Amino acid sequence: MKITVDMEACLLHGQCVIAAPEIFSFDDDGGLVWVAAPDEGLRDDAEAAADACPEQAIVIA
Amino acid sequence: MSHTVLNAEAMPYLDVSDPAFSIRSEAVADARDASWCARTPYGLAVLRYDDVQKLLRHPKLRQGSYRWPSHNGVTGLFARWWENMLLSQEGDTHARLRRMANPAFSPKLIGALQPKFTELANMLIDRFADRGECDFIAEFTEPYATGVICDLLGLPFEKWRELADIAADMGLALGVTFKQDLTTIDAATRRIFDYAEELVALRRAEPSDDFIGMLVRANAETDQLSDQELLDMIVLAIFGGIDTTRNQLGLAMATFVEHPDQWALLGEQPELARAAVEEVMRVRPTITWVTREATETFTYNDTEIPQGTTLHLFSQSAGSDPSVFPEPGFDIAAARKPHFGFGGGAHHCLGHFIARGDMTEALKLLSQRLKNPRFNGEVKWLPDSGNTGAITLPIAFDAA
Repeated sequence: MKITVDMEACLLHGQCVIAAPEIFSFDDDGGLVWVAAPDEGLRDDAEAAADACPEQAIVIA
Repeated sequence: MSHTVLNAEAMPYLDVSDPAFSIRSEAVADARDASWCARTPYGLAVLRYDDVQKLLRHPKLRQGSYRWPSHNGVTGLFARWWENMLLSQEGDTHARLRRMANPAFSPKLIGALQPKFTELANMLIDRFADRGECDFIAEFTEPYATGVICDLLGLPFEKWRELADIAADMGLALGVTFKQDLTTIDAATRRIFDYAEELVALRRAEPSDDFIGMLVRANAETDQLSDQELLDMIVLAIFGGIDTTRNQLGLAMATFVEHPDQWALLGEQPELARAAVEEVMRVRPTITWVTREATETFTYNDTEIPQGTTLHLFSQSAGSDPSVFPEPGFDIAAARKPHFGFGGGAHHCLGHFIARGDMTEALKLLSQRLKNPRFNGEVKWLPDSGNTGAITLPIAFDAA
């Protein structure tokens, strides 16, 4: 599983951090960081994050 | 607020508590030109796009209206619900509740409701189209917004009036007469919880994949959503979905009446309806400000903001900030930066996919069927601040 985030669309609401904290987090400067190739076992969490994103900026492949 | 803000003397002052105050006034635009921030009787008002965007998700700020009942010296059913529901929570509890609620509000689930939005909008327009006039609030936006909630909950449309009345009575809690109206407010809160309990009992007896079914499943299959939290969430969906959509669609029609070329364009190009919703919410959001409270003292833009300070983030003035929107007009075909009509950050509106979906469908059909809409009598407005909108909106039109 590969995760990309369209940082042009991302407004840093942090809904992905809430939905899938094992994949998405904020760094000390408030920027979004994520695990680019998470374990397949986290697919449900990744999809929950993509669904929850208000800007629909997360793509899972 | 008694908190002293350093450098405050240099800031403009806006009396947002004056009933005649308008968030679209020149005073607000002048204040925005002069400073990123203004003083108000309630705390600070944040006026510019970039600052609203940053502060919506600032880690030293929390959602600010959780203390509304205690500020008013009110306890009881409504106060208990308000202080415990999703919007009033922060941190781990908020994240847990939001995770439980998300599947019920996912864009996938909303897509299935689209045909119902179409049917509902057409049915309401059928009732007044031949007359060539209507009160757009009483005859369209109110039954439509409430009818969407009926669809979401699996209730027949005929229940809309009752739900709308309950929501209106509960809504008194957000006004300045909260304490005087407490008996009415708590009676309405009791009735809405009775509804929620009934809906939950039905889905427990007969599981389903609809909105309530998803929440009931989260309650049954995890230990992450208690029985009380389940009911509180359903009540939030009902309460949060009615007034907002009713007011926003009314603001949309009023805006289009003032821009007939844009209405004609939408009628010719219905695929612009989604963009039209965004453009309306940029120039005329029903939620004209979002409230935050400082959880600790911090410095922002060289200004020390003491713990406990209330900040109103003006979505209205951010959406017309000339540094970000140099073309000030209303143009549904223009490419725009995002507005803050759904708030932002951890508390970004949970129901926005539903709201965007139902308003898009409504504007698409209305622009096809009601041509040349114009004001047809006196429009009565809520104050042009806080949560705003038309109370009555008489329009005339040419039926297509």
